[in-house]
Amino acid sequence: MIEIRFHGRGGQGAVTASRVLAIAAFLEGHHSQSIPMYGTERRGAPVTAFVRIGEKSRMIRSLVHEPDYVVVLDPLLRNTVNITEGLKPGGTIIINSASPPEEIEFTSEYKVATVDATKVALETIGRPITNTAILGAFAKGTGEVKLESLIEAVKTEMSGRMADTNIKAVEKAYNSTIVGKNRVVKELKKVALPPANSRADWRTFRPIVDPAKCTGCQICWTFCPEHSINMMERKSTIDYIYCKGCGVCAEECPTKAITMVMESEKKEG
Amino acid sequence: MPHTELMVGNKAVAYGAKLARVQVISAYPITPQTTIVQYLAEFIANGEMKAHFIEVESELSAMVAVQGASFAGARVFTATSGPGLFFMHHPMMEGADLPVVMGVVHRSNKSMQPDHTDLMAQRDNGWIQLYCENNQEALDTALMSYKIAEDPRLSTPTVFGIDGYILSYTAEPVEVPDQEMVDEWLPPLKAPWAPDIHLPVQEWKKRQGRMYGSQKAWLEHDTKFRSSLGVIREVNAGFEKTFGRSYGNGLIEEHNCEGADAVITAMGTIASTARVVVDDLRSEGKNVGLIKLKCYRPFPVDEIRGLAKKYHAIGVIDRNISLGGGGNVLNETRSAIYDIAERPKVLGFHTGMSGDEVTPQMIRRIAEKTLKSVSEPVPTAVEWVGGA
Repeated sequence: MIEIRFHGRGGQGAVTASRVLAIAAFLEGHHSQSIPMYGTERRGAPVTAFVRIGEKSRMIRSLVHEPDYVVVLDPLLRNTVNITEGLKPGGTIIINSASPPEEIEFTSEYKVATVDATKVALETIGRPITNTAILGAFAKGTGEVKLESLIEAVKTEMSGRMADTNIKAVEKAYNSTIVGKNRVVKELKKVALPPANSRADWRTFRPIVDPAKCTGCQICWTFCPEHSINMMERKSTIDYIYCKGCGVCAEECPTKAITMVMESEKKEG
Repeated sequence: MPHTELMVGNKAVAYGAKLARVQVISAYPITPQTTIVQYLAEFIANGEMKAHFIEVESELSAMVAVQGASFAGARVFTATSGPGLFFMHHPMMEGADLPVVMGVVHRSNKSMQPDHTDLMAQRDNGWIQLYCENNQEALDTALMSYKIAEDPRLSTPTVFGIDGYILSYTAEPVEVPDQEMVDEWLPPLKAPWAPDIHLPVQEWKKRQGRMYGSQKAWLEHDTKFRSSLGVIREVNAGFEKTFGRSYGNGLIEEHNCEGADAVITAMGTIASTARVVVDDLRSEGKNVGLIKLKCYRPFPVDEIRGLAKKYHAIGVIDRNISLGGGGNVLNETRSAIYDIAERPKVLGFHTGMSGDEVTPQMIRRIAEKTLKSVSEPVPTAVEWVGGA
């Protein structure tokens, strides 16, 4: 029996990732379960999902507390979520990161596989949905499923152009995954905790306002679901503590004064 | 040919209704509705399934709509969850002789996660109640429900439940039986009660056989309802003959009970975890087995009495509560065995309420306490295990 925990954010497709992996394992002749942990999901909020692969007679129904593998779909998640919690000694972490394994810091040594899944997803799918890319890294980093099985599984869950681009994401990620060991540190770097209700760490992209183009029409202010836009001196001003990076403002802006710029892993905001 | 694919519990239930060639579906499509009816709407929209889908404005109307269609002689289906089920209570009390089949996704009324209090709150209205442990059982139970409900000796509404989230959104391999095999096993519904313009109205009324009136009507209803236990056993055996799968004797299943001193009872998905725990305990030499209770209404009194004669202690797990009364299965188990001279100890446990996680460690504690009670005194008060 192997047990896998997925960490992602609403909208990145952690639940689909767990389903595709369970199908791939099933196609290889195993019994499998894909278990999403649903709550009141919103785009950007941290979510978890689980997969069990093994014999039918050993399938329990609780959540996974001591995973063999942890799969992380978002590079910034490890600042706020304890992703190694319960991970078995000698376990593997598959993480979406532009950095190689030896630059990733944990307090114990693990096998680590890294891939810049956000970049791969943007290049293949055109959106930062990292679920299929991270599965490519999972296949490469663990050897638990074959690349071909993953591709077959993607085909059962998706069709048409969506299937094609996602298969490209799986392959591209598989080929660019780096497998190694993390850097062991005594203590993880303390990341200053944002205030309660902050959505800052949910963002993959941040909106940037060009004051020269902003006419002060307040359309972005009206549409913002997090009330994180203030009109200062008749110009739109983003409150980056509460902005979750959904991009609705940029979509609605009639003068294209707002552009979405990718958040950098190194300077989290 | 049957095929196997990974699917969530809601889809397995929808497949069951599709394979049963349901003719009329009615549902209220908004929360707390589940994706069961979404899958069915898709099947109909893309031509895989021929059925009338009646969208209504409430669960009460959904139930009344399918009862009306059933009265007209159609094979019907509806689905709901926790709060929607409570809203159906009134029509469910009324249509006691129509073979309506419903799928319920258990949802607690203290959280969005599952416990069985929702369906058990409907225990007194004459619906057969079956509980499912995995997605395969959900599909199979949907099919068996039609065979049971439409049995000419009964014509009784039947409801089956799956644990919300734990099954409804968990994907696992499910074998989808061949349509031709299902057609052969489950022929179209014959409804002698259906209105027929060629008959005088008095003749219809006679054929409807409605149980209504004085105290005698209750006795008649109860007697008929209890007789469904035999039909459920028959249908389960027939299902195994055709499809190669069965669920105990249709009412309860004994798992790893041979030579056991004590047993624990579980319903729904808790049974899956309990199987693994009991297997582990047996391999450690601890003589405890598992009883999975599949049928709660009618309560399988004879089966429970049979257990009482074989085992020295029964640990009853209730994922439900009758507030002010306690665990429903505990109370009915104790009641069923009361007049057996040498009755076993019966211990009660609540766990998994509000969908709180049920871990193998928690089941182990329940099983070990039950086993211990065989040889030494243990506290008999009902224990609440786990829970945040």
